[in-house]
Amino acid sequence: MTLHLTTETATAPETETVVRLTDVTKRFGDTTAIDGVSLTVERGEIVVLLGLSGSGKSTLLRHLDGLETPTSGSVEVLGQDVPRLRGRRLRTLRSDVGFIFQQFELVGSLTVLENVLTGALAAQRGPRLGVRSYPKALRLTALRHLERVGLLDRAYQRADTLSGGQQQRVAIARALMQNPTVLLADEPVASLDPESSESVMSLIREIATDEGLTVVCSLHQVDLAISWADRIVGLRRGQVVLDLPTAQLDRERVMEVYGRVASSPAELRAIQGVAAADLLQAGQA
Amino acid sequence: MTTTLERPEPTLPDDDVLERAPRKPFSVERLAASLTFMALLVLSAIALRNVGISVPDMIASWDNAENFFGRVGGLSFPEAGELLGLIGLTLGLVLTGTLLAAVISVPLAFLAASNTTPGRGWRMTARFLGVLARALPDVVLAMVFVLMLSLGALPGILAIGLHSVGMISKMFADAVEQIDEGPRLAIRAAGGSRLQEFTSGVLPQVMPSWVATVLHRNDINLRGSVVLGYVGVAGLGLEMSQAFRSLNYGLGLGIALVIFGLCVVMEIVSSVVRAAMLGPSGGGRRTWADRFGPRIVAARGRPARETSSSPAWSASPESALRRPWNANRVRNVSAGWVSVIVVVAAVWVCDIAWGDFLTVWARIPDVAVQFWPPTFGVYGADVMFEALRETIAIALAATLLALLPSLLLGSFAARNVAPTRSARSSARFLLVGVRGVPEIILAIVLIVITGLGMQAGTLALAFGGIGLLGKLIADSLEEVDRGPERALVAAGASRTQVYVGATVPQGTRALIGHSFYLLDTNIRAATILGVVGGGGVGYYLLNASQGSNYGQVTAIVLMILVTVLVIEGLAMWMRRVFR
Ligand SMILES: Nc1ncnc2c1ncn2[C@@H]1O[C@H](COP(=O)(O)OP(=O)(O)O)[C@@H](O)[C@H]1O
Ligand SMILES: [Mg+2]
Repeated sequence: MTLHLTTETATAPETETVVRLTDVTKRFGDTTAIDGVSLTVERGEIVVLLGLSGSGKSTLLRHLDGLETPTSGSVEVLGQDVPRLRGRRLRTLRSDVGFIFQQFELVGSLTVLENVLTGALAAQRGPRLGVRSYPKALRLTALRHLERVGLLDRAYQRADTLSGGQQQRVAIARALMQNPTVLLADEPVASLDPESSESVMSLIREIATDEGLTVVCSLHQVDLAISWADRIVGLRRGQVVLDLPTAQLDRERVMEVYGRVASSPAELRAIQGVAAADLLQAGQA
Repeated sequence: MTTTLERPEPTLPDDDVLERAPRKPFSVERLAASLTFMALLVLSAIALRNVGISVPDMIASWDNAENFFGRVGGLSFPEAGELLGLIGLTLGLVLTGTLLAAVISVPLAFLAASNTTPGRGWRMTARFLGVLARALPDVVLAMVFVLMLSLGALPGILAIGLHSVGMISKMFADAVEQIDEGPRLAIRAAGGSRLQEFTSGVLPQVMPSWVATVLHRNDINLRGSVVLGYVGVAGLGLEMSQAFRSLNYGLGLGIALVIFGLCVVMEIVSSVVRAAMLGPSGGGRRTWADRFGPRIVAARGRPARETSSSPAWSASPESALRRPWNANRVRNVSAGWVSVIVVVAAVWVCDIAWGDFLTVWARIPDVAVQFWPPTFGVYGADVMFEALRETIAIALAATLLALLPSLLLGSFAARNVAPTRSARSSARFLLVGVRGVPEIILAIVLIVITGLGMQAGTLALAFGGIGLLGKLIADSLEEVDRGPERALVAAGASRTQVYVGATVPQGTRALIGHSFYLLDTNIRAATILGVVGGGGVGYYLLNASQGSNYGQVTAIVLMILVTVLVIEGLAMWMRRVFR
């Protein structure tokens, strides 16, 4: 079931499908993490994958970067059949797709600058160790990205001396270093306090708009998703239960969809609990 | 009105909760392991009796000692220039050997770690090579290399290098397996290759622990280098063995003293380097005593203080290209240069006969045929197996002897057990002191002085064991989860109750594991004790090699190899079961 109404300037030449999942299923032993998902994302779209913990958001995102292979179905990103890619070509695709993790995943003992530079590894031949092992032009680019995320003055500090919000901004700079076309973000603010969350989310949105990036970002907060995304894809137990532009959505509508599909009162309460937490947060802000 | 605060008597639950509670699952393996453990304890006790460490004997031998010192007359040393040269050579060849091992260990660790290995087969092969390298004592390797290469530092370097690969590659691989996988995944997600994942995602995480391992191994190798002298490797050890052989006891003891001093200095230097490497982000202030026994913890930084004004260099990306020279950078760069200089100097001082590398290949076939077939020669199997039994008895007895003192000292050295800060510091200091005494030197001196072979060897190993086991126990006790301790404290338990009720139970498995590690170490050490006259199979090994009975060397090496592998397998099994 796809409720997605394709947006109407469909004839415009720049419309181009960047991500196309067809009937993708992923099983881990007995668990079905993704269950027959079909989904397309057009160039420049900013999409949120919305769902509770365990609904399959991370697994879906990981498929888009070739970090996971589907049990069945096809995954196409930037015109490439991802599960079939190997070696150099897989790495080229991965470098075209930036990935931002919930836990930032910086190398804590390296400097901030070197962490950013690791984003350019795919374009380098062979191993690199130390800031100086990267060409000067790349170092300059990395510093520019750091300036952009507001952390230039932290360039030579160990990454693990930064706060969570700062580390996530370094991770964003690292992703920018890849010069990506697509940006994937897996609950990028789930480990951050409300204030840093706010700044990180708007930074991602701002960069995406400036660079014309296609963004797929997973979130579990309904309100944040509605206010931030262009389009929301709701996941529940690995299935797509909602796929609408945010213009046609408000929280009641989202809750209603989830309410309709919730299999138990407990599940509904869980979703509403999330919503209530969002409301609380909004109230504090 | 008198209200006495009276605690209610604990009441037993009146229902059948005990019967309803699930039984602890029964495991045959655990039972077998426990039985083996018991059996080993009993065997060790018997071994200890057989070794016959008796106080009257020792007192009797004290007369020997007095006698001996009467004959020695006084310590003497080689002349200053020669002494310096010997010290430099010994240090240089040990360091070069250790570095050689480290270099070989990097690819081996990559293959052996479960998270980086390209496949199961690779992993097994790499692990097996490590175990093999560890099972072959460096002395044995040195004997073989002395035969093949012209004398000098090279046989020693190769022997140390190959043997140390065993421990270093294992510790390297373990460190790799313990990394946080996230950063590595991030590099993969960015399109990095396998090699890049390793260099950018794994290496920076394991580096501190790798360097610590190498330094640690270097200390061990320095102590071990003495025995290498007994089989002809140049350096202080050779001088010492020659002095003793020519009955120049004063000079022999003098050199022993120098080596001891060297070991202590080395230990201090490497501890300081390790501490410095953890750096300011190691967290917390360190006491002076801590410097001697720093532990490797993942160096997590403190959250940065928010600085309001940004430094001048960060005005623009262009100006930020020049990395500012802050204290940190100065420290790192100078440390880097110092290490480079030390390494170059170490290799240079060895004066390696590089030409040997070209000629050695031609000689290998000739030498190799002499080593085959293995034979017990004139001794016969009986004598050999008796000697092997003696070796095992020494190892068991020494381990048992070390157990209780280690537990005591180790507990006092643990931060969460020690009653006071100074008690902890003294215990740690004592442990370092004990560890600083190279057990082989201790054995040599004890043997020379008291003339008692097996007893002296056992005592020496036990003494060294306390240093090793005590430190391991202290570290494990400090690593236990503090929660249960706090819970008991909150429940009003006394210090001893907390120790017995929360600290020890959590540390038991580690304790058993470490004891087996010590047994493992002791069996290796015991095989070479005989080389210096400490009883067991090593004596025959030295005889065979000096009498050019290479078939016997092979036979004895095979015996040692099998024994060490069996004990190692047993130790690994026990550590796994009790984990
Ligand atoms: N590597 C894995 N092995 C086994 N099960 C997994 C693995 N990854 C995810 N799962 C399971 O798949 C389901 C979806 O997980 P995930 O994609 O992480 O959800 P989300 O990101 O929405 O919380 C969960 O039930 C999870 O336990
Ligand atoms: Mg997730």
